[in-house]
Amino acid sequence: MINRRYFLQGTSVLMAHASFSRVVATFLASRTAVAASSRAPVFLSAAELGRVAVLVDMILPETDSPAATAAGTHDFVDMALSACASPKQQATFRSGLTALAVDGFDSMSAQDRLVWLQRRAASDVVLSYDESFFKILKDYTLTGYFHSEIGATRALAYERVPGGFQGDIPLAADQKAWVI
Amino acid sequence: MPKANTFDAIVVGSGMSGGWAAKELTERGLETLVLERGRNLRHVVDYQTALQDPWQLPHHNRPTQQDRAAQPIQSTLYLYDQSTKHHFVNDLEHPYRQAQPFNWFRGNHVGGRSLMWARHVFRYSDLDFEANLREGTGIDWPIRYADLAPWYEHVERFIGASGENAGLAQLPDQVLQPPFEMNAFEKHIRSRFAARFTDRKLICSATAVLSREHNGRGPCQGRNQCARGCPFSAYFSSNGVTLPAAAATGRLTLQPDSIVHSLIYDDSKGRAVGVRVLDAATKRTTEYFARVIFLCASTLGSTAILLNSRSSRFPNGLGNDSGVLGHYLMDHHNGGGAVGSYSRLADRYYRGRRSTSMYIPRFRNVAHREKNFVRGYGYEVYTSRQNWTRGLETAGFGAAFKNEITRPGKWQVYMEGYGETLPYEDNRVWLDPDRPDPWGMPTLVVSMTYRDNERRMSEQMMADAVEMLEAADVEEVSGFNRATIPGSVIHEMGTARMGRDPKTSVLNGHNQVHAVPNVFVTDGSCMVSSPTQNPSLTYMALTARASAYAVERLGKGEL
Repeated sequence: MINRRYFLQGTSVLMAHASFSRVVATFLASRTAVAASSRAPVFLSAAELGRVAVLVDMILPETDSPAATAAGTHDFVDMALSACASPKQQATFRSGLTALAVDGFDSMSAQDRLVWLQRRAASDVVLSYDESFFKILKDYTLTGYFHSEIGATRALAYERVPGGFQGDIPLAADQKAWVI
Repeated sequence: MPKANTFDAIVVGSGMSGGWAAKELTERGLETLVLERGRNLRHVVDYQTALQDPWQLPHHNRPTQQDRAAQPIQSTLYLYDQSTKHHFVNDLEHPYRQAQPFNWFRGNHVGGRSLMWARHVFRYSDLDFEANLREGTGIDWPIRYADLAPWYEHVERFIGASGENAGLAQLPDQVLQPPFEMNAFEKHIRSRFAARFTDRKLICSATAVLSREHNGRGPCQGRNQCARGCPFSAYFSSNGVTLPAAAATGRLTLQPDSIVHSLIYDDSKGRAVGVRVLDAATKRTTEYFARVIFLCASTLGSTAILLNSRSSRFPNGLGNDSGVLGHYLMDHHNGGGAVGSYSRLADRYYRGRRSTSMYIPRFRNVAHREKNFVRGYGYEVYTSRQNWTRGLETAGFGAAFKNEITRPGKWQVYMEGYGETLPYEDNRVWLDPDRPDPWGMPTLVVSMTYRDNERRMSEQMMADAVEMLEAADVEEVSGFNRATIPGSVIHEMGTARMGRDPKTSVLNGHNQVHAVPNVFVTDGSCMVSSPTQNPSLTYMALTARASAYAVERLGKGEL
């Protein structure tokens, strides 16, 4: 994995300084891995989660990097709606999903879904965040994806421990943007 | 007097100033007790989030509604997220009252805010130390640059700082490691400034971040996650630098979870003999005794302790014969600035996350007063190429959208001024005994507002920022001038000011309480004015200087 490799590169710079390498090595060994797990939705219904899965892949489809759902982004949207969103934002999102169902989104063709989302994006983008289904959806989709391991390491460039700073280097033709 | 509770020196607080008092006092031979009101937080091993990837942090690093409910003030800080929230207090458990809106950002743990600070370290100059006297504002500083210069150097050599000397009288040169490299856009701005202005320059900030190995620490690994705690010890914190030095002497006793209630004043001796301490968990009171006491509990923390130390000799707080204790609270203001973008230099990039900023030293009111306000400001300047977050505000989505936002975008620049605030008597704090905190201690009430001088300065901060970015051919330049809530810059200063006259000040030129000379107060509460530059380096230098003075006087039997 690219992040792991970069991390080890950074660590090798560190290990050159023997005076504190031991304490850091101990520290690293004590870290506990957080395992990703799939689970039942907490805020959305199963049907709503299915619609969100379609939407996040429309926003971030598979390109030269995997699609949003491959990174579990739909699960993140569900979890973030439950834990991070305010009651007002939750209500906005819920009514957006209701409107989508009323419009018959589930039985639409891919082309009709595209038109539906384009129309929704155009009307929502001028609204405040709290009032905008599309902005909330996009915020959680982009955050969930680009802060996932797949998004950070395959759609973007990520170095956990860069090992230093180079201020002014040529941009390589295939260079992805750094994770924040 | 129980021997077990007796030390040569007691230091209240383990942050920026307390760590320095601990180091200097122990290295000069004193058995020293350091009392910290918060929990222990061990260097490296307790930095639980330091090396976690975004996907390993709860909610991919987004704060939850629950977090915001427990930390309604702390969670508004730019540093606050899942990786840092445990370094900030629970606001519900640590109440204070805002007579005027005031953001009090803090962390109660060993190391205090030295763990999360923004690490800029600049010296003050005589332009700053002489300003009050020159203008007849407030009172005169009892010291000048020459008094502090050797102590600035002493501190800089130990903490290790990188950056660039500007060669300006108003921003004295420092002992610095080589700066981190500028990016292509910054180099461009710098060269445009050089062509356009004689009085303004862009430099790499003096920052307590190591660009080179220093005493077995660092160098910086380019993570820019300092506020999580640095496992590489690459920035200065008490936890990683001064407290270990103090511990190495064998004369340090560090005691967390110890809330200082008040100083114990002995009428017959005419001095403070110790401190009353509440155990944070059991709330039981214990008394500790020492020949000399250093208050380093933060600006508002130290003043609250002094105000709460009442006796028949000092009915209004220890050392408060003048009545100025609690008054003349200051913070910087940073509401004026500008943003812009730059579409050229698209073939240049950078690698790593630099944890420093660029800086434009003060250029207003330097040689003479030239504007409708007094004092001045410097700018912090941040640049980068746009990342995926530029996709948040648009209606775009889909494959082309994804390909676009995963590539480096245009260069962008954000600059904000940091302006001096004048000392006003009615910007102040006091105690409210009718609203005790969970430990039965009176809560602090804060009342502070910015005035006309700060507002006029802020307008000029915006105008100058716009002018400079336009001079550098920056595109889409947009100025801003927004109100700053006092406290938000986290540079609280004053409320126990130094001075030459005991009738108008709490401390003398060595940070001693005028009327109780074995009590020293060396944190931001001692400040007499609030110069443009970030204050922490000055607290460290004042603390080291006062510590050396205290030990010298003790040795001569004069304290």
